[in-house]
Amino acid sequence: MAEYELDCLGEACPIPLVKAEKKLAELEIGDLLIVLIDHSCAMKNVPEWARKEGHNVEIEEVDDGEWECVIEKVK
Amino acid sequence: MALKDNEFYKMWFKDAWPYITGAVLLSAFQVFTLASTGSPWGVSGVLANWGAWLYEAVGGTVDKWYYFASVGAQRTLEGGFLSDTGSMRNVGIILGALFATLMASQFKIKKIKSWRQIAAAVLGGLAMGYGARIGFGCNIGALFSGISSFSVSGWVYAIFLFAGAYVGSKLLVKFFM
Repeated sequence: MAEYELDCLGEACPIPLVKAEKKLAELEIGDLLIVLIDHSCAMKNVPEWARKEGHNVEIEEVDDGEWECVIEKVK
Repeated sequence: MALKDNEFYKMWFKDAWPYITGAVLLSAFQVFTLASTGSPWGVSGVLANWGAWLYEAVGGTVDKWYYFASVGAQRTLEGGFLSDTGSMRNVGIILGALFATLMASQFKIKKIKSWRQIAAAVLGGLAMGYGARIGFGCNIGALFSGISSFSVSGWVYAIFLFAGAYVGSKLLVKFFM
C-alpha cells in the first residue's frame, strides 16, 4: 500500500478533478491518494466524483481555504 | 461550544447552500432588480462603464465611441459611479463574496502556479469581455436575464455557451494537464 500526494494548490476547477482522475487510474488497489486543494468548488467535486466511483473518501480542512482530500482506491 | 461546531453557523456560512436555494434567491432578486431599477440584472455592461470612467480619469474621452453614443449611455456616464445602480450592485457582489468567504473562514490569497495561468486568465478575460459586449450581455445579462424575460436570444445564447464551454474545456485539458 503506497501513499501519493497530488499538489493542486493554486489550480482552479476543473483541473484538480481531471488531475485526480488521471492520477488515481495509475494507482494500485489499496493505495492512498492525497489531493491538496484550495479551490472551494474542487473541494466539492473531487470527493463527489471519488465517492460516486465507489472509493473511500475523507475530506479535511487543514487551513483557511485549504483542504486535503484523501482517496483510498478500492477497485 | 465553538462557533465552528454550531449547526446554524455551518448551515448559513460554512457549507455551500443548496442549488435550489440559490435559484429561488436569484429569481426573487431578479424580480426586485427589475421592479426597482427598471432593467433586468446585468454585470458586464457595468464593467464597460467602469472602463470608460477609468479612461476618462486619465484624460481620455469616449464621447465619439459608437458603443457609448446612445443618450442612455451618455447619461449613465455623466451621472457617475455613485449614482449608477449597476455599479453599486457589482460592488455589492464583490463585497458580498468577500463577506461570505470571510464568514466561512476560507479566505486565501492563492499563489500563481505558472505563466500559463496568467496568459490564460488575460486571454480568457479579454475574450469574455469582448464577447459579452459584442453579444450585448454576459451569462447574466444575456442568459439569465434574457431567459427570465422570455427572450429567445437567451436560449440561443445558451446553445452557444455550451459549444464554447466544450471547446474551452478541451483547450484547458490540452494546455493545463
